[in-house]
Amino acid sequence: MLVRDYMTRHPFMAEPDMSIIEAQRYMGDNNIRHLPIVGDGKRLEGLVTRSSLLVDPGKLGSLDVWEITRYLSRLTVADIMVKREHVVTAAPDATIEEAARTMVERGIGCLPIVEDNVVVGLITENHLLRQLMEMMSMQMPGTRVTIWMPARKKGELAKLVSAIAAQGWGIAALGGVIAPKDPDKWEAVVKVHNVSIAEVEAALSPIEGQEIVDIREG
Amino acid sequence: MQTQQDTPILNVENLAISYKIRDGMVPAVRDVSFKIHRGEAHGIVGESGCGKSTVAFGIVNFLGRNGRIVNGQILFQGRDLVGRSQEELRRLRGDRIAMVYQDPMQALNPTMRIGDQMAEVLVIHRGMSKAEADDRCVQMLEQVHMPDPANMMRRFPHQVSGGQQQRVVIGMALLNDPALLIMDEPTTALDVTVEAAVLDLIAELQHTYDTAIMYISHNLGVVARVSDKVGVMYAGALVERARVSDIYLHPAHPYTQGLMRCVPKLGMNKTDSYLYPIRGRVPAPTNLPAGCVYEPRCDYARPECSQKRPELREVLPGRWVRCHFAEEVLEGKWEPPEELVPDLEKLAKPADGDEAILQIEHAKTYYEAPSKKMIGGERQYVKAVDDVSIAAQRGMTLGIVGESGCGKSTLVKTIIGLEKPTGGEMEFMGLDITVPVSKRNLNLIMIRLLNMMRLGENYYDRLPRQLSGGEKQRVGIARAIAGNPEMILCDEPVSALDVSVQAAVLNLLLETQHKLGSTMVFIAHDLSVIRFFCDTIGVMYLGQFAEIGPAEAIYAPPYHPYTEALLSAVPIPNPTAEQKHIRLSGAVPSALNPPSGCRFHTRCPRRTTLPDGGKICEEETPPWREVSAEHRIACHIPLEELRQIDPVITIDQEESHAR
Repeated sequence: MLVRDYMTRHPFMAEPDMSIIEAQRYMGDNNIRHLPIVGDGKRLEGLVTRSSLLVDPGKLGSLDVWEITRYLSRLTVADIMVKREHVVTAAPDATIEEAARTMVERGIGCLPIVEDNVVVGLITENHLLRQLMEMMSMQMPGTRVTIWMPARKKGELAKLVSAIAAQGWGIAALGGVIAPKDPDKWEAVVKVHNVSIAEVEAALSPIEGQEIVDIREG
Repeated sequence: MQTQQDTPILNVENLAISYKIRDGMVPAVRDVSFKIHRGEAHGIVGESGCGKSTVAFGIVNFLGRNGRIVNGQILFQGRDLVGRSQEELRRLRGDRIAMVYQDPMQALNPTMRIGDQMAEVLVIHRGMSKAEADDRCVQMLEQVHMPDPANMMRRFPHQVSGGQQQRVVIGMALLNDPALLIMDEPTTALDVTVEAAVLDLIAELQHTYDTAIMYISHNLGVVARVSDKVGVMYAGALVERARVSDIYLHPAHPYTQGLMRCVPKLGMNKTDSYLYPIRGRVPAPTNLPAGCVYEPRCDYARPECSQKRPELREVLPGRWVRCHFAEEVLEGKWEPPEELVPDLEKLAKPADGDEAILQIEHAKTYYEAPSKKMIGGERQYVKAVDDVSIAAQRGMTLGIVGESGCGKSTLVKTIIGLEKPTGGEMEFMGLDITVPVSKRNLNLIMIRLLNMMRLGENYYDRLPRQLSGGEKQRVGIARAIAGNPEMILCDEPVSALDVSVQAAVLNLLLETQHKLGSTMVFIAHDLSVIRFFCDTIGVMYLGQFAEIGPAEAIYAPPYHPYTEALLSAVPIPNPTAEQKHIRLSGAVPSALNPPSGCRFHTRCPRRTTLPDGGKICEEETPPWREVSAEHRIACHIPLEELRQIDPVITIDQEESHAR
């Protein structure tokens, strides 16, 4: 699960001399929220987001329509973009979770993916959410069960997995976190295809020390 | 929610391109619309002069000084390319749009080493250091499956084979990781075996790089192999756009149907089927019909077709057709016009008997190569034809196939005396081309010949430049048969022609042969054409025959491993056909120093089935194994094993015939 496999290759990009009016229309027409600005050889120069396009009325001399038009027509993308040195980027061989951490910590919605300063792709929140969906095997229907088990105790997950294996079922998705409200518990989410809720319940409830907290079609 | 994933990489809408000439504007392309999404390959097929390349040039504005986009828009990643400055386009071409053309040598600089010219792309566009760029280039060469990439970097373009040159060009095009790759007949100049490998490569790269590909070709089989959607162009307009399998199984435009009927499908032969050429020819762009552009040649044409120009409309989901009566065409109620219904039986019957008219025994043609040493040194020979024996029966057609450099043409040149044979015996009986034709009835004879070629008397006074490619080839055939020869040698007579013309010329050759009872030796690299046309086929490899037999026997097991590989490389547009995947590595070795033992052993995929990894193949010349009286295979692998091989191509007959 590396960034290179999940990013959008060949993202839409623009040149620094594009007028801001054109950029605004380009982003609006194609529903682009993040527009990397590149020079020759797709080398990263900056990044334009929807918020870069918010023009500060304070900079206008007056609110006269002609004045606004003149002001806007002179602006290019280079004037309003986040400059290269301030753009947070990631490398194509970074892991998905590293990219996610960077985005969460910096509070940003997009990372241009850069190799030797050349833009090779783009990753956004959307990609990460899609990745989560795929990890939980959303595209195939099945039974989704949430189980609490003691945290920091060896062999608990193995018990769960072998109970499923004993039925001859396959695991479509498996994920786990420390339980949200109880640091002593570990929460595992398992998805199994082609098996009914009742069957899953019957197979997993006898496991000692573990508890089914949620079970549903998903 | 719509994201940039949904916006097509290339969206061409109502594109019209005209060239300005002295008398006004020539509309070369009209009303062309199509979309290519990321990672998708879109094919464009059509005969020459239909505007395929003009569309490609239009996208990157390489139209020349007199070309102009007069209407429509070209949206690349959602931005219109029409009307952009040269500087902006130059940047796009370098960074995000790449092109690969037919002749790799035109894209490569012959005076620069491959490594240098590849690295230049990165050094100039990306400002990389030379050393870094070199590393990237080696990686790229590896990705396009070049053998020994580090060594390749130091070679000049002429030191690698044609297929490898094209790989270099493709690698170079991908160095900047383009979003759109435009390929204009990239494999047309290559051998079938090399073509198959390059097509595999394109399909693979398309997935790795998520590149949108616009693939232009005249060969539907080739397009079918790389792309899933295809647009058919005719006289500058897009006449049909659909998925490849739909177009093949149920063509909805009369022109597409016509195209399908004039290509011999692998397995068809002259005794049970007929090629129906499309009558007439593509109208000149300055003189287009007022109604449907295809109306003058269309078998379905009705009065309204000549008055109203049809729009491109969606007949079925995903199927766009420019025809007023597409629904009817789809139902497929087509009967060949009466004058075209051939007498298959008559055509099939050989004129007379089994008498061998041409008999070649142990023929050899060597060319002396200059010795590398200054003084003395052994004489070296290029063994272009080496110990070949074959016979041709009267009234029959002998086909010879093989990759380029296998000695096909040299063999024919030796037969007609253009090359001096080095050894062997050749007998030709009843040759009678010396009878002088009296001056008096020369005109009459010429006119009769012209008529026979379906050219008409008014062609008598024309100059060659006033003829189309197909017409020139007809005159060539007329000249060849002027002396009523017993034998006609044809070296790739149709390979340079468009498919509709090709069908007409093949039919003409068949008729001529029947009328004159001549024997033919027919060289072609297209295995479907050979299969259709010939009675006996010899498969040639590096100066020798690998397999000789009746046409139908060659295309079914037992095969020589080389025949098997050739067959698995033929591009077939039929989606119901299943084809084995065999790719030969490398190129045909040099005839100057052919491999010992079996000449094919260096590339043979089946050699390992023999004990000791096929050691015998390196040491001994393979024996001729007789499958039947006429069918022989030169291979060390025993016949029983060769018989076990599954057929290379299996076609679901029912589905294919349903169309």
